[in-house]
Amino acid sequence: MTFIIPIGPQHPALEEPTHIRVEVKGEEIVGVDLRLGYVHRGIEKALTERPYAHGFYLAQRVCGICNATHSLAFTRAVESVAGVECPDRARYIRVIDGELERIHSHLLWAGIAAHEIGFTTLFMLFWRDREHALDMRELLFGQRIYATGTYLGGARVDIEQKHIPQLIRALAELEKSTKHYIDVCTSDRTVIARCAGIGVLTKKEARELCAAGPTARASGVDFDIRRDDPYAAYDEIRFDVVTERNGDVLAKVVVRLREILESVEIIRQAIDAMPKGPIRAKFPENVLENEAVGRVEAPRGELMYYVRSNGTNKPERVRIRTPSYANWPSIRPMLVGGTIAEIPIVVASIDPCFSCTDRVTIVDAKTGKARIVTKDELRRLRK
Amino acid sequence: MNVNEIVRLIKRYADDVKIVGARQVFAATDKERYLEALTALRDNDLKHLTTITGVDRGDVIDIIYHIHCGESLLNLKLALPKTDLEIETVTDIFPGAVLYERDLMEMLGVQVKGHPDPRRLFLPDDWPKCVYPLRKEVKK
Repeated sequence: MTFIIPIGPQHPALEEPTHIRVEVKGEEIVGVDLRLGYVHRGIEKALTERPYAHGFYLAQRVCGICNATHSLAFTRAVESVAGVECPDRARYIRVIDGELERIHSHLLWAGIAAHEIGFTTLFMLFWRDREHALDMRELLFGQRIYATGTYLGGARVDIEQKHIPQLIRALAELEKSTKHYIDVCTSDRTVIARCAGIGVLTKKEARELCAAGPTARASGVDFDIRRDDPYAAYDEIRFDVVTERNGDVLAKVVVRLREILESVEIIRQAIDAMPKGPIRAKFPENVLENEAVGRVEAPRGELMYYVRSNGTNKPERVRIRTPSYANWPSIRPMLVGGTIAEIPIVVASIDPCFSCTDRVTIVDAKTGKARIVTKDELRRLRK
Repeated sequence: MNVNEIVRLIKRYADDVKIVGARQVFAATDKERYLEALTALRDNDLKHLTTITGVDRGDVIDIIYHIHCGESLLNLKLALPKTDLEIETVTDIFPGAVLYERDLMEMLGVQVKGHPDPRRLFLPDDWPKCVYPLRKEVKK
């Protein structure tokens, strides 16, 4: 006989809301069902009601962690629609921006993973070193979290020469500590006991379920938009696409840590190769009827924006496919067959981002009008 | 696969094949051929469906299957008149399409026949029937 355990929407394991129904037979998980939508905000619709220049800031706020890649993906799609070419210097600024974000996102995730397995010291160490990346974002782009170097038609701010030595020092620190963490994670008994052989996603499953990013690469799927569909200056930079074969939680840890080392190397190359010159091209107010897809490799994987323009200053349709959205179907094979105690770390291992996945609008059925439901109304609805 | 190989592969199943930029192909298929087209892509080892987009264009709804083809991206379009919004599921070809089709059903009211789990995805349980938030007729 099976038994259903409801987990969430609010639960101690993850900081964002989702509802997971886990069907168990004794200790063993035999089925998983997900209920999404608790943080749906209607952003796809809202983007069609704003001029491109305003939509840029909204797209940036789809996700609080990978906001630089969201603005870059939106910009990439919108620039293709409008036929605007970004100046060379700005392309390199975008690379530095995106890679700093990847470093801080991966370290943030690694800290959470350490916390999920009860290794609090490691969690603090990861987050201590994440500060290097955040400090650099503040120094170069003005803010620790909601900073982006991208703007429609180029870069928002230029990188000043006087900040480069500090950036190089921070990269050296990050490289040193990440190498140490790779050693720790592949040799420490606690990490191996909690992560090795757990939450396995096979290569076949990862491909069939269209997984993306480190979740797919940890299962041996060689797929990275930076190489496959290069944007910004990635076609002029040499880097390896990191893959692991085992597909378990440990492989997902190692893939992300090794990617940090690649990111450090990418930023170094970008600093050396960055040409001088203008950082922004003019972006038109109205965009002729057209359509385009802009993809970038976010820290969690392939992020896609589809933009359709209609000759006005607002897009006709914007579709966002975030990497967490693509990775949700993979949760089922990763959990089934495991035990209850593995749920937090396995769910965390895809680095889920709920706000990324949930986007919707509220509509009154009788009048067909969209509106926002207040917290009080929601409370009344629940009763 | 590069764009030219994609064009060679897809032109049997689609019309109006356009290469956009260095790495993107847009093509328009129809209800008779889209399943064959997607199966042919899958059989050529193109197994990554990036997503499915639905676009309300007034009288028709465009459904776009975005398929990652290694070094290029294929955007395969299927135009459905609003009077006949029914398609077959593609989850047997791309199992990863399961959430995208649920999204398509609740946001644009496209009926996906044969879907293994046609529940709502994001909308709440008490959401009224036949109100599709990404349709044009839904006004502020």
